[in-house]
Amino acid sequence: MSSSRPVAFAGIAAFAAALGVLPIVAGPYPVSFAFILLITFVIAQSWDWVNGQMGYLNLGHYAFYGIGAYAFCLLLIRGVPLAPSFAAAIVVAALAAFILSFPLFRLKGDYFAFGTLTIVPLCELLASNLTEITKGSEGVTLPPNYVLIPAYYMAAVLVVLTLATTWWLMGSRFGYAIRAIRNDEQVAEVCGIRLFPVKVLTLGLSAMFAGLAGAIQAWQFSFIDPYTMFNLSVALVPIAAALLGGSGLLLGPLIGVILLSSLQQVLLVKLSMLQGAVYGLVIVVIGRFLPGGLLRWRVIANNKRLAWLARESHFEGAPAMAAGDHAALPLRAPDLDKSKVVLRCEAATMAFGGNVAVREVSIDVRQGEIVGLVGPNGSGKTTLFNLISGIYRPKGGRIIVDGQDISGLRADEIACLGIGRTYQIPRPFNELTVRECIAIGRSFGRGAVPLREAMQSAEAFARFVGLGAQIETRADKLSLQQKKALELARALAGEPKLLLVDEVASGLSINEIRTFVEHIREIRDRYGITVIWVEHIFSALARVVDRLVVLDSGSVIADAPLQEAVKDERVLATYLGHSNEKDARKEKRA
Amino acid sequence: MSIDILVQVLLSGLLLGGIYALVAFGLSLVYGVANILNIAHGTLLAISGVVASLIFAATGWNPILIIPLLVLPVFLFGYLFHAALLRPLASRGKHDETIGTVLITVGSLIMMSDITGVVAGTNQQNIPVRSEILEFGDVIVPLTQVWILAGIIGLTIILHLYLKYAWFGRAVRAVTQDPLGATICGVNGPRAKALTFAGGSGLVAIAGVLYAMIYPVDPYMGFSLTVRAFTIIIIGGIGNLAGAMIAGIMLGVAESFTAFLWAPKWAPAISVVLLLIILVLFPRGLALWKRA
Repeated sequence: MSSSRPVAFAGIAAFAAALGVLPIVAGPYPVSFAFILLITFVIAQSWDWVNGQMGYLNLGHYAFYGIGAYAFCLLLIRGVPLAPSFAAAIVVAALAAFILSFPLFRLKGDYFAFGTLTIVPLCELLASNLTEITKGSEGVTLPPNYVLIPAYYMAAVLVVLTLATTWWLMGSRFGYAIRAIRNDEQVAEVCGIRLFPVKVLTLGLSAMFAGLAGAIQAWQFSFIDPYTMFNLSVALVPIAAALLGGSGLLLGPLIGVILLSSLQQVLLVKLSMLQGAVYGLVIVVIGRFLPGGLLRWRVIANNKRLAWLARESHFEGAPAMAAGDHAALPLRAPDLDKSKVVLRCEAATMAFGGNVAVREVSIDVRQGEIVGLVGPNGSGKTTLFNLISGIYRPKGGRIIVDGQDISGLRADEIACLGIGRTYQIPRPFNELTVRECIAIGRSFGRGAVPLREAMQSAEAFARFVGLGAQIETRADKLSLQQKKALELARALAGEPKLLLVDEVASGLSINEIRTFVEHIREIRDRYGITVIWVEHIFSALARVVDRLVVLDSGSVIADAPLQEAVKDERVLATYLGHSNEKDARKEKRA
Repeated sequence: MSIDILVQVLLSGLLLGGIYALVAFGLSLVYGVANILNIAHGTLLAISGVVASLIFAATGWNPILIIPLLVLPVFLFGYLFHAALLRPLASRGKHDETIGTVLITVGSLIMMSDITGVVAGTNQQNIPVRSEILEFGDVIVPLTQVWILAGIIGLTIILHLYLKYAWFGRAVRAVTQDPLGATICGVNGPRAKALTFAGGSGLVAIAGVLYAMIYPVDPYMGFSLTVRAFTIIIIGGIGNLAGAMIAGIMLGVAESFTAFLWAPKWAPAISVVLLLIILVLFPRGLALWKRA
């Protein structure tokens, strides 16, 4: 982990120097080839911020390149000076991205890809048909000027900026926000990340770089038309390059572009026809045989010197904690006021179509309580958690946290108010390490500490739940029990006032359950966190809860201290069936 | 503007829409069953159309004879394409699978267009069938077009009945709804997917021949058809033929009227704009007909 920063800086510096020297030592042909390579890299890398980092497959990215080129050329031929024209290319591309964000980010997965697929043809249509503005299909010709060298240097600067931005994303809080979104959008929101602005900013950033790249290329080429600017088969080339190198990796797009552009150049020189076919074949082979790209190839990922190339994030400077130091969690322990209500549900109701999953549930949870929430499968426990944490909006009733009605709030706002939760089926950020998963919870939740501090303190949380040895392990490599522990650690790291724990004990051994119960107790006793715990394993609950709330078919059928609740007739009936047939019939009549 | 002209525009829209629907059927089944975003789907139509035109120009055969001649090889091609390239992707994660699919279909789109362009030329071609003309007052309808429309409707009915009642048809619908569940019930999932992909390709070959009988085709025109087909399946509901038929005809008629009332150059915009609007209003596609 420690060695990649100097290597990367040296690499970037050497690369920048090579770029600077090239036009001095080489003729126009290598320079124009390098120029195309630089432009393609900017498009590929800026696309990859949205795909590789954020996980949104944008098939319309090339449109931003065309939009930038058009904005630049149309202003230039109307007599606007160079610098404002370039600036306009950036602004117009960003504006287009901003406007498109509203429809596009309503879509998920394949539908996002469908939606973006239409952008390039739409732009081509607009460029050819709005003849008064764009000169239609005959295109725009700039006054002839030999600008290869300045254009080349501009592109080189833009490339260095692009690399720097990528490097920044790899180790910054914003970068972790978008990687969290890629891994699990809902969990990212529950950790306190406000999704929409993050997505818009990322798309806008990628559009700005692509737009400027388009403007520089148009300036050098001095001619644009709708067909070349919005050509689908060209549009997908930078995407293929990024995927060839390794999407989401620091140097993936760069290496992919170098390889693929060189190949294209060779084909142009060696083949008089069928260049497209060979090129298409290469893209097919990449799709078929290189799921993660070249840099994720086993030979590289398993090599000690090269492994950093295959790493997804590059956060530096989280020193190891001293061994054996029993983890005291870096949480403030507030003064508990046991009479104060933390959470109040007032007739909270949730229905899916005609199926009422939570029916007018009213409960109060006081500070420092540990409340067990039980009920048969399908009784509405997890739905109630989803209501409280803002995944669902209640269809009726109110949910009040510390006197504030949260029923209309987004999940990230609720997280920042201090409600943490775990998932019954663990949902860690699979492609991130344990440290990173916990740090995301710490860096965005109520605590919202800077990333560096979050990365350091993540270790305390990991140790607390027994994951100290796995701190640098990728979350998808953990066992089920370890993933459940990670759920707890991530939720705790968000510094919740109220923690919703959803079936963490099922599947654990008796000893593990005992440890876990101690954790829950310690969370409350030492850090003053109020806990609602959903669990089927009654013996585990019995050790620690102050009170039991029993749900059946979405309604509260008991809300009492443990000893009373287990004697309640309805609870017994729900859990154990009726004591005999007579009773059952009696109850039916009643 | 007389009513005759409107009827004429409506009829040509109907025909165009019928062909769009045929293109969409294949894509709809492929996406519904095999979860494959086949971006090369329209290109397959373009190439089938070009090849059919070449065969027609060389032999002068009745296009109805050319259809089976094309469908079989395209069906086989589809099967092998799926088996060799797409099926192995299923073992990846969702995002990687989508990306792999996009790369493979886009790569083959570029390859197919380029090879056809080199072999057959990049010019526009068609199947110039001479046809009797039916006249209803001022409305002129070539008899071929009537037959084509009848053929499309017949094909839709057959497909619909097949999917509804045949064992394999039911298997296909089961896989569309729940791949794992279908497999547990004894459906050979991978085989159903491969056969659907092949069948979808075969359908598009039929559409290609019909298309070339009415409009010019060239090797590079496929992508805009793919976008239209996506629009149609999203309006009509994924895996739903009746919905696709209605949506296809709506789109064809809308394009015809746009071309007539405004300008032909804006007609292609309809599908793109419609697709964006629908995706915005109904982020998971229109569920109106999904249940059918």
